[in-house]
Amino acid sequence: MFRYVFRRLLQAIPTLIGVSIISFFLVNSAPGDPILIRTFDPKITEETREILRRQLGLDQPIPIQYISWFTGYSLRPNNVVGEFQSDGVTCRFVALLNTTFCDSGGGIVRGNLGTSISTNQPVWERLVERMPATLELGVAALLASLLLGVPLGVLSAVYQGSIFDNIVRFMAVIFNALPAFWFGLMLIFLFGVVLGWLPTGGRQTVSLTSEFDLVDRLRHLILPTAILAFGGIAGISRFMRTETLEVIRTDYIRTAKAKGLAATSVWFIHALRNALIPLMTILGPSIAGVLTGAVITETIFSWPGMGRLTFSAAVQRDYPMVLGAVMFFSILTILGNLLSDILYGVVDPRVRLS
Amino acid sequence: MVQRRFSLLAMLLIAALVLAACPQPAPIVQTVQETVVVTSVVTQTETQEVVVTATPEPPTQGGVYIDASSSDATILNPILSSDTASSAVHSKIYPYLIGTDAFSGEIVPSEMAESWSVSDDGLVWTFVLRQDMLWSDGEQVDANDFKFTYDAIAAEAVETPRKSNVELIESIEAVDDYTLVVTFSEVKCDGLSDLGLGILPSHLYAEDFSDIMTSAENEAPSASAGPLVFQEWARDESVSLVRNDTYFRGAPNMDGLIIKTVPDAGARLAQLQTGEIDVLGLQPEQLTTAQLNPDLSVYKFKDDGYAYIALNQANPENPLPGLDEDGNKVEQDPHPILSDLAVRQAIAHALDYDTIINKVYLGQGYPLAANVVPAVEWAYNSDIQPYEFDTELAAQILEDAGWVDSDGDGVREKGDLTLSLNLKTNAGNTTREDLGALVQDQLDSIGFKIDFEAIEFGTMVGEMLGQTYDMVIIGWTGLGTDPNDDAFWRLQFDTPGSGFNFVSFSNDRVDELLRDGLSVPGCAPAERAPYYKEIQQIIHDEIPYVFVTGTIGNIGYTNRWDGIDPGPWSYYWNVEKWTLQQ
Repeated sequence: MFRYVFRRLLQAIPTLIGVSIISFFLVNSAPGDPILIRTFDPKITEETREILRRQLGLDQPIPIQYISWFTGYSLRPNNVVGEFQSDGVTCRFVALLNTTFCDSGGGIVRGNLGTSISTNQPVWERLVERMPATLELGVAALLASLLLGVPLGVLSAVYQGSIFDNIVRFMAVIFNALPAFWFGLMLIFLFGVVLGWLPTGGRQTVSLTSEFDLVDRLRHLILPTAILAFGGIAGISRFMRTETLEVIRTDYIRTAKAKGLAATSVWFIHALRNALIPLMTILGPSIAGVLTGAVITETIFSWPGMGRLTFSAAVQRDYPMVLGAVMFFSILTILGNLLSDILYGVVDPRVRLS
Repeated sequence: MVQRRFSLLAMLLIAALVLAACPQPAPIVQTVQETVVVTSVVTQTETQEVVVTATPEPPTQGGVYIDASSSDATILNPILSSDTASSAVHSKIYPYLIGTDAFSGEIVPSEMAESWSVSDDGLVWTFVLRQDMLWSDGEQVDANDFKFTYDAIAAEAVETPRKSNVELIESIEAVDDYTLVVTFSEVKCDGLSDLGLGILPSHLYAEDFSDIMTSAENEAPSASAGPLVFQEWARDESVSLVRNDTYFRGAPNMDGLIIKTVPDAGARLAQLQTGEIDVLGLQPEQLTTAQLNPDLSVYKFKDDGYAYIALNQANPENPLPGLDEDGNKVEQDPHPILSDLAVRQAIAHALDYDTIINKVYLGQGYPLAANVVPAVEWAYNSDIQPYEFDTELAAQILEDAGWVDSDGDGVREKGDLTLSLNLKTNAGNTTREDLGALVQDQLDSIGFKIDFEAIEFGTMVGEMLGQTYDMVIIGWTGLGTDPNDDAFWRLQFDTPGSGFNFVSFSNDRVDELLRDGLSVPGCAPAERAPYYKEIQQIIHDEIPYVFVTGTIGNIGYTNRWDGIDPGPWSYYWNVEKWTLQQ
């Protein structure tokens, strides 16, 4: 088991290096310029932009920029900077390679995700800031999806072909198809503006005292959770329906029924437990999804989560922020998949991790 | 007035109820009797007398004003930030050297400088600073703060897009604490606006500017000389500011102001409707909702911006700079189609401006003939008429210039060339997307073949400044109070990839007028006006831009507060006087 986990973690290293290379070159080959987008103002001169580019190292060729981002070493041809040490940056000229190496102490290989161009904050700090809000919404949505999606799916399978089944399946399609940006606004309009029951957005009511108020927090959580959970409920209920249908056609269920077991115990003990196993495979990626956030829902509901952070960083061409987030999400996805594989082994003894 | 009468009556009623409910000692009764007298005067007399007899009670204290921004602030330092969300916050904290009149846009001595004078050659400006301005930590706001701030911008260790603000400044001297001398290297009539950035408290930074980039002040300013003091910044949620009791114009009546981040436009309108926010810049399609709501007021004004279609005059396949390294003019590779003035004229006449303004801008615009908006009254040339919508004339112009549809496919040709152009705008701006579709339709109907595409903003900026486009729909906002817009037209700014003369406009006379208009000795508006009026005529005739509409701004705000008096150049200019209604 430990060997298995260790081996999987080792395998993750080349994957992450691959992700870093692909994402770095993709982000840098996208049109747009991080400096220009910040200085799109006729009053700002090109000389100013040149200075900013040089200071951020954006004047270097892309492969050099990659090495600098990945290792924390920036390379300059010839002895351009000389040998010096200041502000934590050490530079050394290597005559053999005719290149000056400057060590900024950063580099993702050393766990440093870099500094955001927009806010000058460390990328890691910005991600951590968003984590509580993202987790709060993600966990609420995942719980709601599971608590409603699983029973609905099982009941739908049990009463296959009934009106209930048809309604559930119909609603699943509808909720999966409704775009969040439209449905979210409709819910805001109905529950916030017309009925006035719920706040229209944000994580809490803003005030100068900013005290923690659980009821207020929960009221703010309802609508965005609903939007995220609708999709989840629809997906999980459909998945559970299919899995349960498969299970109830098996011999052991027929045997259980023939033995005269009560219907509820057949469905919810024998059928459900076996139908839940494949659910693990889709839960792994969902756990990563919980942490990475949901761009549209977070935007509509002014939720300060990671999805919005990454999206706005992409729009503003904040390369270090985007890349830092991509690396972080990649790690989460790898861990999420690993976790679901391990769990799969735990719930299904037939699966051996080797 | 009705409201005031009403509130006095209400006060009387409440006072009467209080009086009836609990008999109190003498002083309270007296107060009530006074109120009774005032009320009877109010109900019987006209406005003037009310003013005379107005109760001298202090304004109501308290309440929190809530604003919304589409994106979070990035850095609360006026010399490092370049986004509007950040300046919405730091403009209420850091003081300015000079003020702008909220209504006329004129530069006025309403901030740090209480007066100034300029030398005869127009290069040396001497500012006399007010002495009653304090930072909220008790330190004096003085000439050294200004000098520190502007020296910091110029310092090598400081990465800032504001370097251009100090380009023409030769020296800054703090003669004493309250006298400041700024020497420019050349006369530049809009040079004063370079001095318009917020001023930092020098006593909170290292003297050698080494901590400007990293100071904790950038995220949590600890001293304020503006109406409000920083309290808290919950990233991507809100920034809270509280009353500055040492503000030189008097402490605000409100307890504080919170700027929430609400990224979605629909959600912002919903929050304005529910009263969760107090103010919102309205998009045209949101206007009716706000107007129909009795709890909201709408302030409408002609903005300092316009929407236009940029017509690239140079070949997008071969973008060239306007000047070479030695400053000599570079012969441009002309655009195969758009360098033909007849084509540009045909485009200008083919657009139905009234329909565009009414249907696309929902009435929130006005026809504009050239590059100066009427808000800059003294320089605006009212003699030029905008191009008229006349498809027959447009078609005729094309015919006369040799653009004919010889093969009957609906698209005109001239020699080997087909009248086919691409048109781009930024996706997500629904107004511009609608406009693009309409422009495509109207141009196609007179024999163009327009390939319209809405692309992501950053990508569009790249193509536009890279000069690899034919036509782009975009707009200028925040052009300011000076008519100088040399960055759009002069050859030195025609630099593919970066310059703002991305239409490759080249006109020696305009180049000369823009240069001279900025260096008129004394800079008197009356003497500068002829330069700008002639420029507008040439721009109108040459059509580097098709001016679609001047923009009209609409601000929706709740009626919960008294004293709000928005001007086109500032909404918050008298924020310290606002009071929450009882």
